[in-house]
Amino acid sequence: MSDTRQSAPSTPVPTAPAGSAATVLSPSKEAWRVFRRNKAAMLGLILLGLVILTMLLGPSLYPVPAFDISGKPFTGPFEVASLPLGSDYLGRDILAGMVVGGRATLAVGLAAAAITVSIGLTVGALAGYFGGWVDELLSRVAEIFQVMPSLLFAMVLMTLFDPSLTTAIIAIGMVTWTSTARLARAEFMRLRKLDYVNAARAMGAGPVRLMVREILPNAAPPLIVSATLIIGVAILFEAGLSYLGLSDPNVMSWGLMIGSNRKYVLDAWWAVTFPGLAIFLTVLAVSLVGDGLNDALNPRLHQR
Amino acid sequence: MTGRNAMPGTGNHAPTVPLLEVDGLSVEFQTRDGVARVLESISFSLARGQTLGVVGESGCGKSMTALALMRLIPQPPGRIVAGQMRFEGIDLLGLSDAAMREVRGNRVSMIFQEPMTSLNPVFNVGEQIAEAVRLHQRLDRRAARERAIEMLEAVGIPAARKRVDDYPHQFSGGMRQRVMIAMALACNPSVLIADEPTTALDVTVQAQIFDLISDLRSRTGTAVILITHDMGAIAEMADRVAVMYAGRIVEEGSTADVLANPLHPYTRGLIACAPGRRTAAHGEPLEEISGTVPSLLERGAGCAFADRCREVMPKCRIGLPAETRLAQGKRRVLCWLHADASVPGAGGAS
Amino acid sequence: MSTLASVAKRFAYALALIFAVLTVNFVLIHAAPGDPAMVIAGEMGGADQATLDQIRVAYGLDKPIFEQYTTYIGRALSGDLGQSYIYNQPVIKLILQRLPATVLLVITALLTAIVIGTLAGVWASRRPQSLGSGAVTVMSLVGYSMPTFWTGILLVLLFGKVIPILPISGMRDVRIYGGWWVTSLDVLHHLVLPAFTLAIVYMAQYSRLSRASMLEVLSADYIRTARAKGLSEGLVIWKHALRNALMPVVTIAGLQFGNLISGAVLVETVFSWPGLGTLAFESILGRDYPTLLGVLFFSSVLVIAANLMTDFAYRLIDPRLRNR
Repeated sequence: MSDTRQSAPSTPVPTAPAGSAATVLSPSKEAWRVFRRNKAAMLGLILLGLVILTMLLGPSLYPVPAFDISGKPFTGPFEVASLPLGSDYLGRDILAGMVVGGRATLAVGLAAAAITVSIGLTVGALAGYFGGWVDELLSRVAEIFQVMPSLLFAMVLMTLFDPSLTTAIIAIGMVTWTSTARLARAEFMRLRKLDYVNAARAMGAGPVRLMVREILPNAAPPLIVSATLIIGVAILFEAGLSYLGLSDPNVMSWGLMIGSNRKYVLDAWWAVTFPGLAIFLTVLAVSLVGDGLNDALNPRLHQR
Repeated sequence: MTGRNAMPGTGNHAPTVPLLEVDGLSVEFQTRDGVARVLESISFSLARGQTLGVVGESGCGKSMTALALMRLIPQPPGRIVAGQMRFEGIDLLGLSDAAMREVRGNRVSMIFQEPMTSLNPVFNVGEQIAEAVRLHQRLDRRAARERAIEMLEAVGIPAARKRVDDYPHQFSGGMRQRVMIAMALACNPSVLIADEPTTALDVTVQAQIFDLISDLRSRTGTAVILITHDMGAIAEMADRVAVMYAGRIVEEGSTADVLANPLHPYTRGLIACAPGRRTAAHGEPLEEISGTVPSLLERGAGCAFADRCREVMPKCRIGLPAETRLAQGKRRVLCWLHADASVPGAGGAS
Repeated sequence: MSTLASVAKRFAYALALIFAVLTVNFVLIHAAPGDPAMVIAGEMGGADQATLDQIRVAYGLDKPIFEQYTTYIGRALSGDLGQSYIYNQPVIKLILQRLPATVLLVITALLTAIVIGTLAGVWASRRPQSLGSGAVTVMSLVGYSMPTFWTGILLVLLFGKVIPILPISGMRDVRIYGGWWVTSLDVLHHLVLPAFTLAIVYMAQYSRLSRASMLEVLSADYIRTARAKGLSEGLVIWKHALRNALMPVVTIAGLQFGNLISGAVLVETVFSWPGLGTLAFESILGRDYPTLLGVLFFSSVLVIAANLMTDFAYRLIDPRLRNR
């Protein structure tokens, strides 16, 4: 007699009989199938593609140097043919800035996210797997970083050290790793207790092999989702730092455009609106993709 | 074998007005793969103080019947598509939501299968019991609290006055189920529906809970609908028993009759399967009913038990007979094997 | 462990954290390229050799590093966070001056986000497939993706040019003076936009979270029990379900105090709100490192305090966590 009790719904809902016609795909293909059906996620993916495309091809298609004075200051958008999106308070071309600015934003965002995930995953995995004093120690360290407000900490780092893109990448990576670590720790703690890990251990696998080959692939889904969302966080972070004038002043970025034009917002709304729109759309795209990945990789027991 | 603790004057005596009457109740569920008919023409009645057992495998619709009675079936996917339910003469389906809420927990109560998750973890047990009392009996806080303590004592919670402020996580599974019973009986309902109250508990505790229900039942005269797949419990506690399969009642009658002389092949199988039955000699393998319950989506017109029945006939797959009534309507069975034994004029399936 | 003992334990732990943050500060000062004396003096004109020497002596920079460390800790714990050479005041004084503004901003934003976010999430959970629920999801995605400073600037644009009904800068209107009541109203008037801007990101998060949490809670067995008792939908939702659904929101909100302060830095610069954020910004412009580090340290203390309070709030809400 099969027990059809499910853990969540309170009324037993009839389900299709076992062995019905659904074909079984490999997990990654299945995930892709679910992802593809998610319109919002696909929209995000397309949007992201557009952003990357602009970033790669833009400067060649629109080779106006972003820092040059291209025309009269405070020209509005769509007014003059040579300044499609207008000019800022110095007369710099807004569209040029946007086309070029994406590079810094995305580069820093991706690189910083990579660092964040690397540190966070390592720390979290070690803490979650070994437990005991290792966990205690690492958790305390993480907590120290978590207590310091991330932006302020990054601001301090950027001020004390040389404000270059590299510093920005490292700074962002250093202040945002704690959430990934927390997630990784929870996953590793949960997974190390499962039977298949014990089985592998009984066959003589050492800790590193266990962590990498047995646990990590199963911990991957939520971590992938988290990594995607971290990219969005890193992009926003970079934008914030360059808005405050703390990034490399010789590299054009969207945040820098907003920051330098902030004082003139009431006279030149386009100079801050368009770069901000770019940041917003990029982060939105990343979030949509992240959400789509979440639905695809972490299926819930019942659809809502 | 009648219910051991049956009060005199209840049980198999035909009452004048049944306390609860269900007639032709059918419920459908809208699922992703189609419409499933989870209850088909369910009819039964319950007299005051009587205990009706409902048995069957998981998924046969026993719980669904209980939820339908309480009108707790979630309406978007579920729907009561036919039938009537009358409680003390009142048409339950015709009641407004507010009126139905007055019935729930007050005149008809229900306890559920999972005591570990059926109590709200953030409120203490006293509050959860008192809440029902305050709502239905309009008692003030102090009186309601006293009543809660009284109920906790009645269900056998030691040091009730101290424990009334404890939280569910401070009780064991068996104790939590007692709290649930206390909550259900606090307003003196006429009917208690117990949906597999012991399935999630340890064997030793199961007996205690059944004893408790028995005891309370005889003290308060509450009618009980006992839903279970434990034939032993039915034998001990139920005056009448209804056997369900795939959403239908396939057999119904007094417990003594049904156990001694099961008519439907499924009933026979259930009785034979139960461990400890005299039919299985010690050391011999237990009987089983091979196969599984068919999907409620794929029902044809024939008998749902056909594929598993040892006595299946060709006409079983084509259709069902009208319900056969025997012994002045006190015995019912839905099976071709007995289709000719109807007492003339006793009527067909409703 | 009794409640008193566990409270004491938590306080001790918080103190240890404060020590740790101070240590990080110390490491930063000495790990930064350049002369620590310069760092402390701030690289501004006026840091002549005499001042630098003075600093070297005052801070014992010629002494062994461990002694410097203990001196540093000792000073910090007694309230001496250094001197701001730009404002010519002790750092601690500057910080305490600006602290109330930031606390006001952050707390208002947090409460607004929790209340509105939770209400929106509960509302959406009651009608899961509807347009309203979809709208809440969309708006929360949008709110989450908008850079805080950009949202603020857009609001400045809106209320500065289009509908000038709210002040877009500062905390007080200098032309208004009067009793306590009038002043408070004025501050509140100025608080609306900055607090709202800061709250948006968190409103977005909490509405999604509370919607998901509510949906999960509503399918729980104890909700079915509550309904079986005859409780009205109102009681079921607002009494039985909400308290359970709120817990994830409180958890997350508690963890985000640090982020809130970071966000406050950005919002304060947009709206010229006179809090710790603008102080930090100004100290960067003026290369006033002691102040900057002081702000970092002090805001960490705020976060530690907030974590403590969240911990206690938790115990209040979830009885399963008491007496641990």
